[in-house]
Amino acid sequence: MENKILHVEDNPDDVMLMNLAFNRAGIAARLHVVNDGDEAIAALGSGSLNGGPPVCVLLDVKLPRVSGLEVLAWIRNQPNLRRLPVILLTSSSQTSDINRAYDLGANSFLVKPPDLDSLTKLVKTVAHYWVQTNVRPVANA
Amino acid sequence: MKIAKLATAESAHETASSPKAVTQQNGSGHMLNPLQKNGVDNGKHIGKLNGKVNILLVDDRKDKLLALNAILTPLGQNLVEAHSGKEALRLLLKNEFAVILMDVSMPTMDGFETAALIRKRPSSEHTPIIFVTSIGNSPNQMYQGYSLGAVDYILTPIVPEVLRAKVGVFVELWRKTEHIKQQAERLREVEEAEHRRRLAEAEDKLETETKRNRFFTLALDLLGIGDFDGHLLQVNPAWEKVLGFTEEELRGVTPDQLVHPQDLAMIVERVQMLKNGLPVEYFELRCRHKDGSYRWIGWTAAPFPAEKLIYIFGRNVTARKEAEEKILHLNGELEKRIAALTEVNRELETFNYSISHDLRAPLRSMSGFAQALMDGEASRLGAQEADYVRRIANSARRMDTLLQDLLEYSRVARASMPPASVNLDGVITEIVSLREREIEQSKARIEVRSPLGSVSAHSPTVQQILANLIDNGMKFVVKDQQPHISIWTETVTADGHAANGDNAPRPPSPAIRIWVEDNGIGIEKEFHEKIFGLFERLHPSHAFPGTGLGLAIVRKGVERMGGRVGLESQPEHGSRFWVELPVDAAQKPTDKLPD
Repeated sequence: MENKILHVEDNPDDVMLMNLAFNRAGIAARLHVVNDGDEAIAALGSGSLNGGPPVCVLLDVKLPRVSGLEVLAWIRNQPNLRRLPVILLTSSSQTSDINRAYDLGANSFLVKPPDLDSLTKLVKTVAHYWVQTNVRPVANA
Repeated sequence: MKIAKLATAESAHETASSPKAVTQQNGSGHMLNPLQKNGVDNGKHIGKLNGKVNILLVDDRKDKLLALNAILTPLGQNLVEAHSGKEALRLLLKNEFAVILMDVSMPTMDGFETAALIRKRPSSEHTPIIFVTSIGNSPNQMYQGYSLGAVDYILTPIVPEVLRAKVGVFVELWRKTEHIKQQAERLREVEEAEHRRRLAEAEDKLETETKRNRFFTLALDLLGIGDFDGHLLQVNPAWEKVLGFTEEELRGVTPDQLVHPQDLAMIVERVQMLKNGLPVEYFELRCRHKDGSYRWIGWTAAPFPAEKLIYIFGRNVTARKEAEEKILHLNGELEKRIAALTEVNRELETFNYSISHDLRAPLRSMSGFAQALMDGEASRLGAQEADYVRRIANSARRMDTLLQDLLEYSRVARASMPPASVNLDGVITEIVSLREREIEQSKARIEVRSPLGSVSAHSPTVQQILANLIDNGMKFVVKDQQPHISIWTETVTADGHAANGDNAPRPPSPAIRIWVEDNGIGIEKEFHEKIFGLFERLHPSHAFPGTGLGLAIVRKGVERMGGRVGLESQPEHGSRFWVELPVDAAQKPTDKLPD
């Protein structure tokens, strides 16, 4: 079964770049994109994702309406999603955000690199660790 | 025999008068033989020696005086002789006599005349006078004598026993009178002493009272006495000074007439407590001044239930109160300003947050898509297009660096930096480990002379500062030169050596100076100050890329942490930057630290 990654990102450019980076990195995973926190919660909650939960979530911190941190908090409150790897993405290295993210149970916190090469490298690392190495969480545990 | 002789002399009175006496006293006056006087000189004070009383004998004839003297000596009193009325008067001026024996017929001034004068004087007004006169004188004379206040007559020839008896009576009378007088005097003295004592006591009491009263009068505080209903009974002058009302106006006044309406409940409660004999703690309230304005008075009061009185002490605390209110007001203002500032700060933070997110996103897109254009699909691009795309990507990347540095500068300038113990060896180790790849690529040599010691500072900022200095050392080298960076520290005291060309304030108490030396291109002296400024760059970006913010961040961070920064450098001879930060008091100086 194809690995699915939920990508929560409101910036279409960033969505495209992420896709580019995944292609360049040659990762066999499908990116399912939602554009804000509400959609992310809906997708994860209603099981609208075909074939069960994603292997991991790439979650932008700064989202309209419901922020990435709120989505993270929600995820950690769902018994079946408690162990879902969530990688937060942000544009800045604001320490307050980082601390709060880890407090809320983020698995990783990544600053979006300014160039495609760095992003590609980053995506490789993420995929290697969170998609291939990490044990896929059991659905409805 | 004396009596006989006296009688003889008396009988001879008529026959042998002196010519002088004849002319003056119708022959009744006559010269006496000089007689031994009774030890008394005229004009001399005659005392009441040994309780003896004075008896005055007045006669112009010495023989008669002698006779009288002889008769009266047995009485044992003090006999004083006068040879004329004049002399008698003189003696009477200075002495008191129990009785006067006065010859009626004397030359110049006879006995009656003398008696009349004696009576006129207050001091001798009541002195008994016994006239000595011959039997043959007319009863008229006798009446005249009585009318002049004579108490008795004795007729010549004198019967010694009779005379003695008569005189004796007066002596006794005088003595008794004297005695009574003395008793009265003593009584008076006793009474006077008592009176004086009482007076003195009263005076003392009065003085004490007066002194106590003076406290009341002079006190700057408001002193007063009120009854249990709160009426003022007595107030001192301070009330008028403070509140403008006279004592008269304040008498009988109740709190509601004086106290600010808002403070009335407070005073009513206090009066009630006092009435119940409860102590009242110091309290402050507003009292109305006669002019309608209010004064803040601080009160204490003590109840005296036995007298149903309240003793009141007040102090004008208006000035203090107003100052306090001013301070409160100022504090309020200050808080408002702080709130406003906090708001501005918060907005700035939001702004920075937005910059870091929203401004960087397009840059990411620019550089990302430019890169996407170049790789893979790059074959479709001509050389020139590829160059343009690369420039776009580079610019985007440079702009991103600039944004990051700006954000860092703003963070360093504003963030709170609570000082903590920062181990410099740890900081350097971390910086170096983060730069492993760059160090490897440039074959740089980083030499750390441990131990570096600890400073009291903000750890992330210290790391940022030292990283910037090390990065500079690695960046600003002659092309293809192998960077060599040395790092060491030294302890400096307040009066330690000063760095050249630096006039920044020295941190108080011992500091640690961290040296970062490189073998780079060096900096001309004239730029030593300038390079710490915002966006100051000495080299074109194609030679040494940078934002011109690195050293500005260093200086701002160091200053925020109470330190200083400076450098020693010459072109082509490398640079030695130094940073002074307060030594961590909990740690020993650098050179004594264990490895």
